[in-house]
Amino acid sequence: MQASQLSRHYRVSQGLWRAPAIVKALAGVSFSLPAGRTLAVVGESGCGKSTLARQLTLVEAPSGGSLHIGGQEALAAATASQRNTEAWRQMRRQVQMVFQNPYASLNPRKTIASALAEPLLINTTLSAAERQEQVLQMLKRVGLRPEHAQRYPHMFSGGQRQRVAVARAMMLQPAVVVADEPTSALDLSIQAQILNLFMDLQDSTGTAYVFISHNLSVVEHVAHEVMVMYLGAAVEHGPKAAVLGQPLHPYTQALLGAVPVLKAADRKPRIALQGETPSPLNPPSGCSFHTRCPLTQPRCKTETPLLRQVAGRQVACHLVQG
Amino acid sequence: MADQALLRIRNLKVSFAGFTAVDGVDLDLQAGQMLGIVGESGSGKSVSMMALMGLIDPPGQVSADLLQFDGHDLLRLSPAQRRRLIGKDTAMVFQDAQNSLNPSLTVGDQVREVLRLHLGLRGSALEDRVLQLFQQVEIPAPATRLDAYPHQLSGGMNQRVMIAMAMACQPRLLIADEPTTALDVTIQAQVMALLLRLQQEQGMALVLITHDLAVVAEMAQASAGRVAVMYAGQVVETGTADALFEHPRHPYTAALLAALPEHNRGARRLSTLPGIVPGKLDRPAGCLLAPRCGYAQARCQQERPALVEGVRCFFPLATATAAGAAHG
Repeated sequence: MQASQLSRHYRVSQGLWRAPAIVKALAGVSFSLPAGRTLAVVGESGCGKSTLARQLTLVEAPSGGSLHIGGQEALAAATASQRNTEAWRQMRRQVQMVFQNPYASLNPRKTIASALAEPLLINTTLSAAERQEQVLQMLKRVGLRPEHAQRYPHMFSGGQRQRVAVARAMMLQPAVVVADEPTSALDLSIQAQILNLFMDLQDSTGTAYVFISHNLSVVEHVAHEVMVMYLGAAVEHGPKAAVLGQPLHPYTQALLGAVPVLKAADRKPRIALQGETPSPLNPPSGCSFHTRCPLTQPRCKTETPLLRQVAGRQVACHLVQG
Repeated sequence: MADQALLRIRNLKVSFAGFTAVDGVDLDLQAGQMLGIVGESGSGKSVSMMALMGLIDPPGQVSADLLQFDGHDLLRLSPAQRRRLIGKDTAMVFQDAQNSLNPSLTVGDQVREVLRLHLGLRGSALEDRVLQLFQQVEIPAPATRLDAYPHQLSGGMNQRVMIAMAMACQPRLLIADEPTTALDVTIQAQVMALLLRLQQEQGMALVLITHDLAVVAEMAQASAGRVAVMYAGQVVETGTADALFEHPRHPYTAALLAALPEHNRGARRLSTLPGIVPGKLDRPAGCLLAPRCGYAQARCQQERPALVEGVRCFFPLATATAAGAAHG
């Protein structure tokens, strides 16, 4: 998967007498994701990570930029008439999603078997028996049992439901799975089980993941590459060891410093950030982080920094020297 | 007087229609001390504190041998007496501030309500105190926020409002139930620092309920507090944060620590505990962890261990390695 300068604007009504405001939810995000690798997208509320997830799973068309999946341009099929083509459907099969809330992402009125067979029913010409066979195989793969197939979601725990969600995402053998905080709602021991499932599936199928998470220790475990987002743009992006090990952007440093750490010896310096993330309706001028950055200079208020290659990763900060 | 514990709980039990949510919990808390209660879903950590606050309604059933706060036997108070105590000398802050605050009252009015009811404040004394509380919880430009509704404020801001309501009457005990779980990590750090500061400034006892081991470790270490680990309605281990997390004695504590991604650096897979917490129908006759415990022996399947010297296990881990080696 290859994203280039993806951006997304929303128009927000401000009443009858004022022009609508423009929310720049996503402002030019780029990355390249090879098979079998995981890109972790890290950020707090309002950073645009959920908007990015919607662009990548082709739920929404971006306002700008381009997206290629398996070498083919995804945006070419953005209009209604083009969406009815086989090419478009083929593309949609390549990207699947796992959501955060295991209690809200499964249709409560469908049995597990029905939920898992549905992607096959819509997208393939397999017979009922063949679909059933694949459903049972997938159940086994995600650590569930054949008798679970005929049950309804409410009969399962959060962790088990998340296994079903992962199974459903994998049914069409997608090239990319976008996982939006897949373990945030789960207990620690269940989180470990689900993360192991993700890792095992990636090893055996070569699926690439875009893994959205605010939990930096989970990111440390699953990611190959990390992209830190703030107010719609990437502020730091590169290999995990570089970004998490030697963060260069002040926001990345603050984020890492804010994460509670079990052992006192492992704790990083805490950089107290003042205030909260500004509203995307009223983003700060220049560098969007300057209102909270402890290192703000006059230049930061007027000039937006671009992503530059420094020390093995991309950073968008005037104060980071190449 | 100084020796009397602020909070003493003995054999607290809470059940809902035959399901035992809290199964014989003993806890002690001194004035000004911090206690972290850590556990996963179904551990009973929230329900036990809600029972203390009198927030468990029928059909929930609460019983205890002793439920004593500041010398008052909570089980023997009339509802009116209890209302005077709860919300004033003890206060509780919940996880999702936006869901806990009244959506149809301004945040200012909600804080005023507490002050009016418990302290009888009126007029300028009331207004001054509300502003003072907003400042104390570090709400920027407090005067402008008084007339805001909860949905107009961010999660972090709402959480501060809840803390302001809890602090209004200078409680001797503050119970915070997952106060930072729904917040962004940088806001979480701010709220944790705020709670610590308030605890130290006011000499207030603080009970912090969380599933996040790192959060409880940081808070307990910063305030010389203690930590209790709960599983399936029971306290399974207690101790200082350092002791618990460096040398866990209960297999469940060890398993929780082992499942942390940070303890599996470089490994592709995380260490996990098989199975799930017992529900209503599969509550073991013996030790509640036995079906999942890698060290379980015959005695564990048949008898329930008592909490002895801070650990509820027949074969606590410091000695288990020797027993395990002999067992083969």
